[in-house]
Amino acid sequence: MDTSHRWRIPAGQRLLFEDFDDGIVAFDTAVGATHLLNVSAAETLAIIEAAPDLATDDIHRRLLARLEIGEDALPYDSLQELLAHLEDLGLVAVRTA
Amino acid sequence: MNVGELSPALVSSRMAADGLAVAIPPVTVRLRSPLRQVATQFHSLYADYVVADASDYADIDVRLVPAGGARRWLRPQVQFVVDGVMPFDAFPQDHALPLFEWGLNWVFSHRMHDHLVLHAAAVARGGRALLLPAWPGSGKSTLAASLASRGWRFFSDEFGLVKLDGGDVIPFVRPVALKNQSIAVMRAFDPHAFIGTSFPKTRKGTVAHLRAPAESVRRAREPARVGAVVFPDFEAGAEASMRRIDKATAFLKLAGNAFNYEVVGERGFKAVAAIIRGCESYILRYGDLDAAHAAIEGVMGDRA
Repeated sequence: MDTSHRWRIPAGQRLLFEDFDDGIVAFDTAVGATHLLNVSAAETLAIIEAAPDLATDDIHRRLLARLEIGEDALPYDSLQELLAHLEDLGLVAVRTA
Repeated sequence: MNVGELSPALVSSRMAADGLAVAIPPVTVRLRSPLRQVATQFHSLYADYVVADASDYADIDVRLVPAGGARRWLRPQVQFVVDGVMPFDAFPQDHALPLFEWGLNWVFSHRMHDHLVLHAAAVARGGRALLLPAWPGSGKSTLAASLASRGWRFFSDEFGLVKLDGGDVIPFVRPVALKNQSIAVMRAFDPHAFIGTSFPKTRKGTVAHLRAPAESVRRAREPARVGAVVFPDFEAGAEASMRRIDKATAFLKLAGNAFNYEVVGERGFKAVAAIIRGCESYILRYGDLDAAHAAIEGVMGDRA
């Protein structure tokens, strides 16, 4: 994945969240799809929604801070994989610089 | 006036003329058919249902009419017609009643979009509903029928109708469609149960319909808050086990079980969330009804 990618929530999309102790369920109102997310995915979406067009490394830094974990717990490569997965689901979109 | 208060001959003549409209809450169904056996079988299975006025609006208008074509000379056929549309191929005429029941299920699952429609059986006790979501073959009809025969209020063996504002379940009380071995199982479990004509060699094997309890029919407009969600999983010979599942997993299982989750959209999501937040969810594996009942008492005993 190109490090110049910048991420945003697709236009017109609205997600509803139900936060249970054992997982977070998100409903994509645009397409009517429901997804089971872990806390990393849900926080990543929240970061991108609050600050569109962040680069991957910015998202990574903010995510580690929000989760209060170190890079060993969530390496940069893992975030790249997560973003690619969220992109496949249509929950985030990429804008190349 | 209930259907059972009419004579079979009067039911037959009404069906053959303008149709017999019956309240099957939350809908009114008008059935027209010149086939006498349909009237006779309907009369016995729907005896406790209220007859609607002939002039009342019927939500669903069904005709069971003899089909044309060359096959009628070999084996008479019947066609299911709903609001002028024939959604299915013709059935053998002696399977007219199962065709009516399946056809009504089909219509219901395609139209009731003011509710979240789960593929689930449901019963209730003490104002709390037990929701049994499952796809065919899980034994949910037999399990629900057996619970009803032990005093639970019967809601449905096929549809969990969930109100979109708050997640309460409403009844859709109909005869229980027992299939194959389940017919003998229910006869043994409740020798006093009224089980109608057996229809062999249908598309689902032998089918017979168990009449819904009269008290459940009478209270068919009373909703209930869900007390537990239990996903039944029948396996012959299996020991009963009730395993609690986490809420996020239960959410996905329940939403994935709905006929119209995508259609009702955001409101369906919120209704499922209301159910899942309001109670615990379990997977029930069982091989016989008594053991299943004991396991259900274990999770519903203090709620129902």
